[in-house]
Amino acid sequence: MFRALRSRALTAMIILAPAALAGCTDASTGSGSGSGSGEITVAGTYPIESLDPHGPQGGGTGTQLAARELFSRLVRPKADGTLEGDLATAWKPDATATQWTFTLREGVKFSDGKAVTGADVAASFKRLIDNKGTNAANFPGYTMTATSDSEVVLKATKPDAAVPGKLATFYVVPASVATTDAAFFQKPVGSGPFTVEKFTPSQTLTLVPNKNYYAGAPKVTRVTIRKMPELAARLTALRTGEADVVWGIPDDQLGQMQSDSKLTVETVPSTAVFTMWFNSSTPALREAAVRRALWQAVDFQTIVKQLYPQTGGLADAPVSPITLGYVAQQPVTYDPNAAKAALTAAGFDFSKKLRLQFANAEFRQFNQAVVSDLAKIGVQVDLLEKEQAVFTKDLLALNWDINFQQLSNPTFDAANTLGRLYPCAAKRNGYCNPQLDQLLSAAGSSPDQAERVKLYGQASQIIWQDAVGMFPMAVKYAYAWNKRLEGFTPDPNGLPDFSTAQVRGS
Amino acid sequence: MRRIPYLVLALYALVGGLGPLLIEYDPVPTSLPDRLRPPGSDVSYGTAWLGTDALGRDVLAQVVYGARTSVIIGICTVALACLIGVAVGTAAGYFRGWLDTVLARGIDILLAFPAILLTIVIAGAFERSVLLVVTALSATAWISFARVTRGIALSLRERPWVDAARVLGVPRPAILVRHILPFTIGPVVALATLEFALVVLAEAGLSFLGIGLPNSAVSWGQTIANGKQYLETAWWISALPGIALSVLIVNIGILGDQLTARYGRGHLR
Repeated sequence: MFRALRSRALTAMIILAPAALAGCTDASTGSGSGSGSGEITVAGTYPIESLDPHGPQGGGTGTQLAARELFSRLVRPKADGTLEGDLATAWKPDATATQWTFTLREGVKFSDGKAVTGADVAASFKRLIDNKGTNAANFPGYTMTATSDSEVVLKATKPDAAVPGKLATFYVVPASVATTDAAFFQKPVGSGPFTVEKFTPSQTLTLVPNKNYYAGAPKVTRVTIRKMPELAARLTALRTGEADVVWGIPDDQLGQMQSDSKLTVETVPSTAVFTMWFNSSTPALREAAVRRALWQAVDFQTIVKQLYPQTGGLADAPVSPITLGYVAQQPVTYDPNAAKAALTAAGFDFSKKLRLQFANAEFRQFNQAVVSDLAKIGVQVDLLEKEQAVFTKDLLALNWDINFQQLSNPTFDAANTLGRLYPCAAKRNGYCNPQLDQLLSAAGSSPDQAERVKLYGQASQIIWQDAVGMFPMAVKYAYAWNKRLEGFTPDPNGLPDFSTAQVRGS
Repeated sequence: MRRIPYLVLALYALVGGLGPLLIEYDPVPTSLPDRLRPPGSDVSYGTAWLGTDALGRDVLAQVVYGARTSVIIGICTVALACLIGVAVGTAAGYFRGWLDTVLARGIDILLAFPAILLTIVIAGAFERSVLLVVTALSATAWISFARVTRGIALSLRERPWVDAARVLGVPRPAILVRHILPFTIGPVVALATLEFALVVLAEAGLSFLGIGLPNSAVSWGQTIANGKQYLETAWWISALPGIALSVLIVNIGILGDQLTARYGRGHLR
């Protein structure tokens, strides 16, 4: 019987063992790459569960990453947030921005050799809407028709100036694909730079160049995207040469990567902003003065400088600098004494605990530091780290007082964050301001880009000054890749494109 | 040599009991400029003899407070498991019949189920708290106690003094308490020490996985988990609480073996 007990002790020890093992692996003993001459291996953070960009998992990071290697879009964002044509060569709205006309590129072929036509584009759009995936919610009631083989028209139900940005997550598949077609997406046909060689859901995806790609087949001979959820495992794989590209590296590990002569390390500004909404429907946080005071009580400058010296910067707007609609705001200065005085003047109840919720352990330190600063002026906060599903459910139910999120924006357009999350009708943070609603709806429907930026700037000012939330940090993504890889460009949304990469000497 | 485990355990009890009176620690305040300092560094709140963690908090204080948490949880869990296990085991062994059949088969079924998995399921299903951890760990820990005491009760019920008591008309509960239970103490104490080690380890495991104690509690498992990503750059965060945990487990193990040799089942006769 004691043997049985010992085996239980062993089981418990095994749980603690991976940490020790990860640390013991000697990075210097690994040599060369596991892959052949022109092949690269990518250590993926998120699992790729499906290759269907229109399906229920279409909005997931894994599927988005795969989709941009396999399929083409009408337009795609560049690293600085501006859009460039992919399948479309030109696009223009009508006077009210309700009808958008896209001219398609000539001579684009799918990987099976068939031409990409307007009918394929329109059918893909219909498929996206019919599947009711996460991305379909961007286009309520919108329709797309092919006016010719080389032109499609998108009709919106109301003026929508953000259409091109929203289409950055819309991928084109052949018209013949049914609404649900699991077999097709095991080895899909697309017009992107790569095609699938082998796909094992949530484990590995192996890509080979698409010889029919309109911009010329990629120079790498094979790309393997392998899921490695553990950070330590990803970094070790990178240093031993088992993996060639890793991204999303925390600051504390970045130094080690930078000191490795085999690796190139780069950070790139992303669309993500740390967003800490206050629940304005909670009686304690109803007044803007209270919310402003709480923001003032946290020394975000020190926190960001200490925890994110390389991948973070103090945010100066509710959206990131590479987002359309970014206008810098007056920074909030750290002043705990003024904060305490303002809270006392507003009759804030210091005996009541605020609930601060977040998901993902990577944000724990940041939130603990925030809680620590608030505790210094006597504001008690319960830090609640939740499972992603529970977090989302509570988020939508407004079951929190302060909510921490890293909000990124794949459309690079403030319509997707400001326009979607801050109107009264959205009911996302309990804040309601008719004046803000007006500004946001005007900004969302104006075909003039300069006008939109101005309007979003005014909206940002209201959000900033009324402290709908705290906006502590604009996020940069840190990428590290093996020096044998050339021509690799980091992507601001964490969805890099491997079509331009090349293995040195191959 | 035989006294070493006792000395080490006494030291842990002392540190766990008196340490918190001497060293002040609150997990809420952070001191970011002092983060990731090596052992012996001077920090804004004094000297960090065992270094600081990623939020600038003292590792020594975390080890000391963690010792207290571990010892408290270990004792509570073993006491609860012991109570349930001994009650079930002696009842099953002494009364035999359908009660024994049901209880013994129940124990067999639970034994066939991986204990750590059951603990994780229970701990993961509810909100994190000390009480939940104790409950989750007790849910499987009592089985060993039940097995041992059932075996002892089975052999004891055939002994002459029990027969004599029965013939004299002593009520059955009284026989159980007066003539059976005292003989189980030796093996149960030996088993309790071993279980204590397992419980401390399992608690650290649960906290390491993030389903154990709440963040406000200080636990070795949490401290070790927090240092996981700094193993190469700041080894002291994980290594020192890890060593504290290992030394405790090893010494309890030795003590348990000594007690088993002295009071184990083989020495009943």
